[in-house]
Amino acid sequence: MPEKKGCLGCSFPLVIGLAVFFLALLGIGIAAGPVGKSIFGDLGLPAWLSVPQPELKLPADTVFHLFGFPITNSVVAAWITIIFLVGFSYLITRRMKLVPGRLQTIFEFLVGWLYDLCVSVAGEVNGRRFFPVVATIFLFVAFNAWLALLVPGYGSITIHTAEGEIHLLRAANTDFNMPLALALTSFGFFWYFGFKALGIRFMENFLNVKVLKDGFRQLFKGKLVDGLLGIFTGFMTIVTGLLELLSVFIRVISLTFRLFGNMTAGEILIFVMLFLVTFLSVLVLPLYGLELLIGFIQAIIFGGLTLIFLTVAVQSHGEEAH
Amino acid sequence: MEGLGSLGFSIPTLIAQVVNVAILFGLLYLVAYKPIMRMLDERSRKIKESMDNTERIKEQAERAEEEASKRIEAAAKEGQEAIARAMRTGEDVRQEAQQKAKSEGEALITRARSEIQRERDEAIEQLRESFADITIEAAGKVIDRTLDKKAHRDIIDKVLKESTTLKKG
Repeated sequence: MPEKKGCLGCSFPLVIGLAVFFLALLGIGIAAGPVGKSIFGDLGLPAWLSVPQPELKLPADTVFHLFGFPITNSVVAAWITIIFLVGFSYLITRRMKLVPGRLQTIFEFLVGWLYDLCVSVAGEVNGRRFFPVVATIFLFVAFNAWLALLVPGYGSITIHTAEGEIHLLRAANTDFNMPLALALTSFGFFWYFGFKALGIRFMENFLNVKVLKDGFRQLFKGKLVDGLLGIFTGFMTIVTGLLELLSVFIRVISLTFRLFGNMTAGEILIFVMLFLVTFLSVLVLPLYGLELLIGFIQAIIFGGLTLIFLTVAVQSHGEEAH
Repeated sequence: MEGLGSLGFSIPTLIAQVVNVAILFGLLYLVAYKPIMRMLDERSRKIKESMDNTERIKEQAERAEEEASKRIEAAAKEGQEAIARAMRTGEDVRQEAQQKAKSEGEALITRARSEIQRERDEAIEQLRESFADITIEAAGKVIDRTLDKKAHRDIIDKVLKESTTLKKG
């Protein structure tokens, strides 16, 4: 067998040509970008080679008003995700077969994996109950991130409004309201499942005065040491319960800022990289890959934490102790 | 609140996003989770049924095999018994035939003996009659007169009967 000469399946001249092309792009990109300007000064390169400085703006822009209600570009992006997820699900599930096709297999694998995760953490009965909540959060977070990275138009299509030129679409996860909405959904289901499973006893996790009452009872019976110990433990239980209640509210904040921070930081990183070195899109591709992975990881984290919170909610503290 | 506002917090947008999540939850529940869970449950049920059926068929096959081997064993045993019975019957028939042949032979011999005896007796009887006649005739010739045949015959017969040499049997 004759030995093939070349590199990566291409002939050497082609590889060298491509390398020169990309190096030239890199050189021009650096020279035209802010890094080059700060080093070499103004080289008189055409103005179209320069990329305008990215404007980092955290609040989402209002695209239009619906019945007097402002609709931001992140809400439009969320609608696109909803349409995509629902449409894709409908296309697959309208003709479900016992022996699945390729798409059905992929979707069943994804849904089945989420279901197994829920069952493995919360058990058969509770896992089945929590699954729709966890799966919705996971799918929404993941597809919000992936569509924003993979579908052209996010952050590039601009429209003119009364506020000026704004982007039509913005990754929904990078708008503070979206992670907060998801966190509040998680929070709402926490209370819903908690009360559904334990009734009013669920509140004992946050305000338990039983131990304190027992302490006073002991004290009135004349058992001074037991009574004082009981009263002390009772106060500690109340303080712990209040801390627990505080932690429930803090979870909303932590869930929100974790997702918002990661997604926004990823987007800013890509913007800045593209700004610093013009024409470096090819080299930014790994960052896109990283962002896809981060989107997936954040979806798992958000969904997984919600699953754990819901599992904790349906267990009374007495059960947890066992 | 101002800090949150700089982050982009907006109550209308928050409400819109919560509504979006709720809509997505409802729609996905209808078009994704419900049908997929039903299908997964159905598949699990079918697989379980298939496995149960396989197990049952396997058990049936084992039972059938056991039954077949029992029947083969019984048939073999029965065959051996039939062979033994046939051999016994053959032996009986042989012995019976032998016995029959023996008794027939003995009967034949007895019959032959009695035949011989009868012919001998007849011969003796004929001889005695002839002898009596000859004797009377000879005696008549000797004395040259006719004797009373009847009376003399009786005397001769009596003598012959008493004689040891010509005694029957």
